Amino acid sequence: MSTIEKITQLSHRIFNTSVSENNVARSSNPFAASNFQKNILTEDVFESSKKNDNKVSFTGSLTAGSKRIYSTLVGSLGNIGDRFYEGIESIVAFCGRMKEGVVNTWNKIQEIGRTEVSFGKIGEMIKGLGHSREKEIAKMATLDPHSEVKPMLVEHLKALEADLAVAA
Amino acid sequence: MEKTMIKNNKNFNKVSDIIESLTINTNPDSVAVLEEIGTNSSIDEVRELTSKALVRRNEYNSLSVVIANRGKGINDMSTVVAMSTINELLSLDNKEEAMRVLENTISSEGFDEEVKENARSVKALMALS
Repeated sequence: MSTIEKITQLSHRIFNTSVSENNVARSSNPFAASNFQKNILTEDVFESSKKNDNKVSFTGSLTAGSKRIYSTLVGSLGNIGDRFYEGIESIVAFCGRMKEGVVNTWNKIQEIGRTEVSFGKIGEMIKGLGHSREKEIAKMATLDPHSEVKPMLVEHLKALEADLAVAA
Repeated sequence: MEKTMIKNNKNFNKVSDIIESLTINTNPDSVAVLEEIGTNSSIDEVRELTSKALVRRNEYNSLSVVIANRGKGINDMSTVVAMSTINELLSLDNKEEAMRVLENTISSEGFDEEVKENARSVKALMALS
């Protein structure tokens, strides 16, 4: 069996949980008794069935104990993959929400833009009000104080006193 | 009615505008209208506006109203009105006319001692400012 075929077989055994499950049933792996949500791998994943000097060795000088530990680690990688996938999913969902929010904000800006209300215009309106008041005062300043301004002052003072009486 | 509320009142704003127009009106009769109507108002804010307007005119007659009259301007029974008038006098760029009115009020025999005392105090303040 060539090296590439061995790797293919190995990867098939790692990622195919049903195969692993079958192996668990007939192996003597002590971790097999525990429920690892079918992600547990048997230690013989790292064992070759034939001794061949030309093949690539995945075990090196690993002991049986460390093989079990690594097999558990590799099994847990399946969970990491799931979590990573879930993470990607949540990022996608988050980006979707962000996009939706940006689109909504942009639409709001567009709506506000159509009404053409700006601070500059508000400032001009306030300035206009100030100018109209100044114009009115200047106009009243040309009137005769006794015959024209005095009656106005008396009238508005009476109205003000009435307002104050109501408020009290 | 609170001070902030009265300043948002439409009629108060109109009264304020009329008093403002009498401040810049070149007709000398404006002083008589301000004295007759404004300084005799029962509303403190209106008396305050009127006193300040009379000071801003910076004429002998207008300054005499707020300096040499009992119950008006610096002699107003309302501390706010009196202090506002004094503050306006201190803010004048040209204080010559005001000093002349103050000196005449202090030296004249025809005024109340209380009015003279107030005039002395204000004169002292104006000399320091």
